[in-house]
Amino acid sequence: MNTSVRREVRFQVSAEELWRALTDPTALSDWFANEVELDARPGGTGIFRWDDGSERRATVDVVEHERRLGFHWEDERGNVSRVRLALAEDSEGTCLTVTETPAAGPEANALAGEWSWGIELLAALPRLRRPVRA
Amino acid sequence: VPDVFDALGDPNRRRLLGFLAERETATATELARELPVSRQAVAKHLAALHSAGLVEGTRLGRETRYRLTPEPLADAMSWMASVGAQWDERLAALGAYLERSR
Repeated sequence: MNTSVRREVRFQVSAEELWRALTDPTALSDWFANEVELDARPGGTGIFRWDDGSERRATVDVVEHERRLGFHWEDERGNVSRVRLALAEDSEGTCLTVTETPAAGPEANALAGEWSWGIELLAALPRLRRPVRA
Repeated sequence: VPDVFDALGDPNRRRLLGFLAERETATATELARELPVSRQAVAKHLAALHSAGLVEGTRLGRETRYRLTPEPLADAMSWMASVGAQWDERLAALGAYLERSR
C-alpha cells in the first residue's frame, strides 16, 4: 500500500469534463458541497460548506491543467491531510486517482508507504493483548 | 492522529514498537541492544513514541520499563477507514453528477 487512502475510478468523460467537475465552483456545488468557493491556482483557497453547518477549508498547492490537482485541508477534528487528484485520459474515458495522506508535522512527506506496517501491527493486536504473566 | 503518523515515520521507532510487541516490557538499555543506535537515541525515540501515546513507561528501581499501548494505532486506522468511506461517497456523487450533466 502506497499511501494511507487511495481510490481509483474510471468515468466515461473526457479529462476536460472531469477537470471542470473538480475545479469549477458551480460544478462542485452540484455534487461535492452545497456552497463552494475555489481558486484553483497554486496558493489559492477553497471553502466548502454543507447545509448541516459543516465547513472545510483547503489550500491548493498543485495545479496541472486537466492532469493533477493537489491541496491541503483540515477535518472537523483538526487533522490536516494532503489530497492529490490525478487524471489520466484514454480512449474509453478518464481515470481519476485520489490519494489522501495525513500531513501534520515535518515528517509528513516521508509517511507515504509506511502504512502496511501499521496494519500488520494492528492485525497482531489480539496476540499483543494477551494477559501479562505473573 | 497526526502524532501517530509522525511517530511511525521513523524506521527505528517502528522497530522499537516491533520489539515491544514481542515482549511484555523492556528497558531502554535492553532495546538499545537490539538496534544499531545508542541508548540515548533509543531514549529519544521512546519519548517520541510516548508523546504519541504508543508506549507507557513504569519506573522500577533505577530503570524505566516500557510497554506498548497500541490504542492510538487503532485511532489512526479508523481515520483511514472514515476518510476512505468519505471518498467512496464523494466519488459516487461525482459519477452521478457526470451522468446528469451529459
